Amino acid sequence: MTDQAIPLQQEEKQFSLAKDAFIRLIANRLAIVGMVLVAFLFFVAIFGPYLTPYDFLSQDLMARNQAPSWQHWFGTDDLGRDIMSRVIYGSRTAVIVGFSTVSFSLVIGLFMGALGGYFGGKVDAFVVWLIDITMSIPSLLLVIVINVSLKPPLVNWMDAQFLATGNEFYRNTIWVDFVLVFGSLALIKWPKAARIIRGQILSIRNKNYVLAAEALGVPTSKIVRRYVIPNAIGPIIVYISAALGEAMVLESSFSFLGVGVRPPIPSWGNMISDGLRIWQLYPHVLAAPAAVLAIVTIAFSFLGDGLNDALNPRQWK
Amino acid sequence: MTKLLEVNNLHTRFKVRNGYLHAVNGVSFSLDKGEMLGVVGESGCGKSVSMMSLIRLLPPAAQITEGEVRIDGEDITHASVSRVNSIRGSKVGMIFQDPMTSLNPFMKIGDQLVEGIVYHKKITKAEALKQAAKYLKMVGISNAEHRLTEYPHQLSGGMRQRVMIAMALLNEPSLVIADEPTTALDVTIQAQIVELVKDLREKLNMSIIWITHDLSLLAGMVDRIMVMYGGYVVEEAVLDDIYNSPLHPYTIGLLKSIPSLKTEAGSRLPSIPGAPPNLFTVPTGCPFAPRCEHKIDRCQTEVPALAAVPGSSGDRPHRVACWVDMRGRGVEQ
Repeated sequence: MTDQAIPLQQEEKQFSLAKDAFIRLIANRLAIVGMVLVAFLFFVAIFGPYLTPYDFLSQDLMARNQAPSWQHWFGTDDLGRDIMSRVIYGSRTAVIVGFSTVSFSLVIGLFMGALGGYFGGKVDAFVVWLIDITMSIPSLLLVIVINVSLKPPLVNWMDAQFLATGNEFYRNTIWVDFVLVFGSLALIKWPKAARIIRGQILSIRNKNYVLAAEALGVPTSKIVRRYVIPNAIGPIIVYISAALGEAMVLESSFSFLGVGVRPPIPSWGNMISDGLRIWQLYPHVLAAPAAVLAIVTIAFSFLGDGLNDALNPRQWK
Repeated sequence: MTKLLEVNNLHTRFKVRNGYLHAVNGVSFSLDKGEMLGVVGESGCGKSVSMMSLIRLLPPAAQITEGEVRIDGEDITHASVSRVNSIRGSKVGMIFQDPMTSLNPFMKIGDQLVEGIVYHKKITKAEALKQAAKYLKMVGISNAEHRLTEYPHQLSGGMRQRVMIAMALLNEPSLVIADEPTTALDVTIQAQIVELVKDLREKLNMSIIWITHDLSLLAGMVDRIMVMYGGYVVEEAVLDDIYNSPLHPYTIGLLKSIPSLKTEAGSRLPSIPGAPPNLFTVPTGCPFAPRCEHKIDRCQTEVPALAAVPGSSGDRPHRVACWVDMRGRGVEQ
């Protein structure tokens, strides 16, 4: 019996936690819904240019504000641009902003949180002080200040570079918008990541199972890899999925207010802003980007919840 | 008789906000191969810290300032970190107080059990798992192969403690330190674990240090008892001597406070008045003096040394640290 049971165990051992978590995840219906929607969002964002029936900039002034039809599934806006194409391109904006923001904030947060959690004492006090200060800055104000103070010199510099070198890269100032949006969002969001990581490290370092592993003589690198990280990863993964959704919403709200991604580059935020002027007459202009934004946010929440449950063996039934 | 463990004048202190907490103040004892020692004392008397100091399993704030520990003649206090790491688990196993939190919830029992042995003995994982199943059976877990694939939360507290015991034994250590292994368990499970450890000790010929605050638990289990107070060893003797002729007022107090069936219903259980000393300053006299009803002037000014009692002889003399000769004034139990 022993001989039969052990090889079986052997096969399962690779990535056993990930495998178990995945089985658990796909048993959760809401998580599946979230996962499918998020996967669809990424698919659309990546293959957007091949999917759009029209160019997102091409105007058709003969067909302004048209209601949804077979030619234009989501209708057209006040310049006769196809809304579906713009929503698809907006998903690119959202995904690019979401990913860069979350990765930047995670890198900063991981570094700061680990610093505070590991070293404790004065280093920790400094990290906590920095977190508190950053969190006390109103995010909208910060973004507006960055936009007003940093953007003009940056755009001027780009123009000067283009004139001097003739390099096409400097001509497209759209990237300035993106960089400013990522940068300011990351600055706003890192404290949350840092807090989560710091708390995780502090609590896991004092856990009995870490002590028990130390008592067995398990090397430190292995303790970090097999004890600290798996126990810390759940909240961090949940943070990532929540933060992705949140970053997309924030990007939209900044674009809506005119401090994020500027037209003509489509963002769900600036599309909603455009639609707001005429929505009483043509509700579809507002409805399409708003509905997509809402669905994406909910999808990320479902996925985050599902991941949280799946990654925590204590919640398995 | 070969000495497995020798501890000389061990001092451990913790760095705290304003100065130091002197947790262990000069502990000396030794342990033979196959011997079982009970370490008794109230909470905060330094028993856990002194035993953890043996393998330097201390939080970063703690520091061994003086003394030495020898395991099989090898100096541990000055050994390199990697050397200590290889001694932990392979020569010295530990069983912890709280089995509910001592297992990593994210790892299967099997993976966790073999973590140490794969590292120490350089064997394959399949081999190690086979070993682990054998030890799980030995500690009385049925269906061991299946249990290896389960997660900690699928096991009860008693079972988890058995797993912890198997984990400590898997490397076949010559010394096992059990830090209040039954405190978190209910009484019937407690008895089972005690029986199990007694049984395993005979089978595997290990030395065991059993830390507890429950003197009555040690009866019929250990060979010798060491009583600690305020970071000092106050009395050490073979089991019978501690129970029949305790010589330190603290030991007497502990024995008196064990409830027995003879105690009259409704009467109060005797207790030791006062609380253990705070250890922020090293006491100038006997640490127990403030709570002692037999104290004399000398107790306030001089720390009594742990010395063999006149009349007791042999390899294992009855040692006590008290200025007052308590012979004949002990308990009536």
